[in-house]
Amino acid sequence: MSQRNERSMQWEIDGVSHWLIHHAARRAPECLSSRLEEEWLADLECRSTALSRLGLALGCCWATVVIVNEYSRAQVPAASPLVAAKGCITLADRNFGYFSLRSGTLFLILGLHVSLFCGLVTTLSPTRGLAAEPKLSNQVLHSVPVEMTVLPGK
Amino acid sequence: MGKKDANVRMSLQTLRVLEAFMENPTLQLAGAEVHQRCGIASGTLYPILLRLESAGWFVSQWESIDPSSAGRPRRRLYRLTSTGLRRASEVFASFNRGVLA
Repeated sequence: MSQRNERSMQWEIDGVSHWLIHHAARRAPECLSSRLEEEWLADLECRSTALSRLGLALGCCWATVVIVNEYSRAQVPAASPLVAAKGCITLADRNFGYFSLRSGTLFLILGLHVSLFCGLVTTLSPTRGLAAEPKLSNQVLHSVPVEMTVLPGK
Repeated sequence: MGKKDANVRMSLQTLRVLEAFMENPTLQLAGAEVHQRCGIASGTLYPILLRLESAGWFVSQWESIDPSSAGRPRRRLYRLTSTGLRRASEVFASFNRGVLA
């Protein structure tokens, strides 16, 4: 029973690995897409365990990001001025200034975590204060209604 | 992807890839074999291989097998070019000079 579960899990991980490689290769430049897919799938077969195959597939996704970034940089000078201008805009969108792509991604993730933490702190603190604050406010009563009840027989 | 025989950015991982090929310059290696020799992750390895190929240091070709008879898909094999061998030797020589100096 457990062996069957392990087999099904390996089968699922292999399916995810293949899907990731197909997805990564589709995102690569068109002239490299089919070549990279075949190359990566062949190298996937050389891995022995399902987890190492998954690691390879995840690495291929990252490799595609790097390859696309370098490919777009290399294509800009060879293009015509109009296309080069458009390419520069595309390149500027992907350029992180003084940081590399990996450092930029790291800073982006760190920034998202910090903003999430700050958001949680600022939204939770008033709620906690309202819940803990007792409602101790004095009220002045101007007219006190006095009801005189006359008991029968007195 | 880049200029032929262009200057390649030399990172530690690039040097390790080159070292794997320099052990036997005539050897043809697939990406999986380079990974086994160097231990470099695939996300770093494949961009380096493509970068060195586009710079003219490597050439690559498909493995000459029949996938149906071999029972596995054909692999992409990389090999050092004469230019790559010369440039890699220069790089390692400059590093050795720097270490010994």
